[in-house]
Amino acid sequence: MTTTKRVPVTEGLFEETAGGARLLGSRCATCNSTYFPKSPVCHNPKCNGSAVEDASFGPLGKLWSYSVQHYAPPPPAKFDEPYEPYTLGLVDLPEGLRVLGRMSTDNPNSLEVGMNVELVIERIHGDDDGNDVVSWMFRPA
Amino acid sequence: MRDVAVIGVGMHPWGKFPDSSITQMCRQAVEAALEDAGAEWPDVQAVSAGSSRFSGGKGWGLNGNDVVEDMGPTGVPVYNLSAGCAAGGNAFDIGHMLVSSGMYNMVLVVGGEKMPKGMIQLSGVDEETDPEYLRQIAVGMPGPAFWALLCRRRMAEHGTTEEQLADIAVKAHQISVHNQNARFRKEFTQEDVLNSALVSDPLHLYEICPVSDGAAAAILCSAEEARKRTTDPIWVAASAVATAQFDDGIPRGLASPAPADGHAYHSEALLAVESCYEKAGVSPKDVDLVELQDNTVYYELAFPEEWGLCEPGEAESLLERGETLPTGKLPINPSGGFLCFGEATTAMGMFQVCELTWQLRGQAGARQVPDAKIGLGQTLGLGSNASAVILKR
Repeated sequence: MTTTKRVPVTEGLFEETAGGARLLGSRCATCNSTYFPKSPVCHNPKCNGSAVEDASFGPLGKLWSYSVQHYAPPPPAKFDEPYEPYTLGLVDLPEGLRVLGRMSTDNPNSLEVGMNVELVIERIHGDDDGNDVVSWMFRPA
Repeated sequence: MRDVAVIGVGMHPWGKFPDSSITQMCRQAVEAALEDAGAEWPDVQAVSAGSSRFSGGKGWGLNGNDVVEDMGPTGVPVYNLSAGCAAGGNAFDIGHMLVSSGMYNMVLVVGGEKMPKGMIQLSGVDEETDPEYLRQIAVGMPGPAFWALLCRRRMAEHGTTEEQLADIAVKAHQISVHNQNARFRKEFTQEDVLNSALVSDPLHLYEICPVSDGAAAAILCSAEEARKRTTDPIWVAASAVATAQFDDGIPRGLASPAPADGHAYHSEALLAVESCYEKAGVSPKDVDLVELQDNTVYYELAFPEEWGLCEPGEAESLLERGETLPTGKLPINPSGGFLCFGEATTAMGMFQVCELTWQLRGQAGARQVPDAKIGLGQTLGLGSNASAVILKR
């Protein structure tokens, strides 16, 4: 029996912990501005600080908005053939970040602006070796 | 700074022109602008051009140089300006400065574009350090989905209905049948719009602009030069460009700061427009017509509110009362807008200068805004670029 491997879509963006999924980013040591993905510097023009620290965010947030993507996106986006519409979300995290991600839901009609969502790591498509390529997503909490 | 006049404008029709090169299309726009100005090509002392990554420009965005070589090399200085879809507006801003500063008395500003087929692949950079590349591989979010997210939020906040969104497209096409340069000159019903394919829910195909080929040009000159050539110049009351601010809540990569009040607005567009109000000494209530960048119907609701042209949440009722038609209280996109022309990225700012000029001269025919005196134009481009211009007669 073969086991399907879970391969992150790219390294260093997220992790799965006992307390749930986390996004990996940065926080400014001076003004607390948060960044995803990691940023080597703080971009807040009102901040004089230069030191940023590694920080992780999640898993809870509020759905700012969402949209069902009804047609296949152009490259370099990838998807399993035949294309099945998926839902995109924009989520406000309490750490002060507004983050894009796919929604994990079978029923986009049940989504509502302002609802509580949680971060999960799930399959977005397969690769040539039969592995699951995974990315961060949000699902109703 | 000196006063600057627009004394000539010209446009190549917008659409798909597989048999025309970008240079041919620009030439048609430039020749029309020169003729309109009563000027000859050798009179042009400098050229400011929108710089394309899609067509011409020798692969380096040197689109102004293509125009000069084609029109006849006279040795004029050329400025190629790159600002995504704001490049035409950016080029106009530099052209304006070249004249207002006293450097030159007559300047050509031109923008032309031939777009590749299909959806724009947002990033041309396949590197994991590029935020757009990351967004596409990790999330998969093309441009229309970005507009859809903003639109869905508005629906939740203001109760905007799908019918109201569709009516914006209906209004645009109702006007564009009167514009000979428009790509789509066919009226649609609300039902037609709602029955068109869902692209990114809640936005349908007819509620977003397609990509087009197009070109537009203008001749700018000093007041002294303008008085020699015309009794009826259009004046540049203000021109401005801007980029975005840190915390406007618009995610341009994978994430942005989340403002505590939940807001999101295009700060680059607001800054450019507010800068124009201030420079021109014009208040929003003085504006007789607006040409705004309607990549999607959403912007026709959001932008007028963000720029103080109407109250927050008022845009839908203005639309329903017909106030955004050319004959209404707040005419928006009396050209038909990019919903009807399509997006020829780097030509868009110059498209607006042409339409504003025709409107202010009273030459807009069946789509004329009655007694238009002050017109506002605005573009928005990749890299959080924006431009704005106020023209007056």
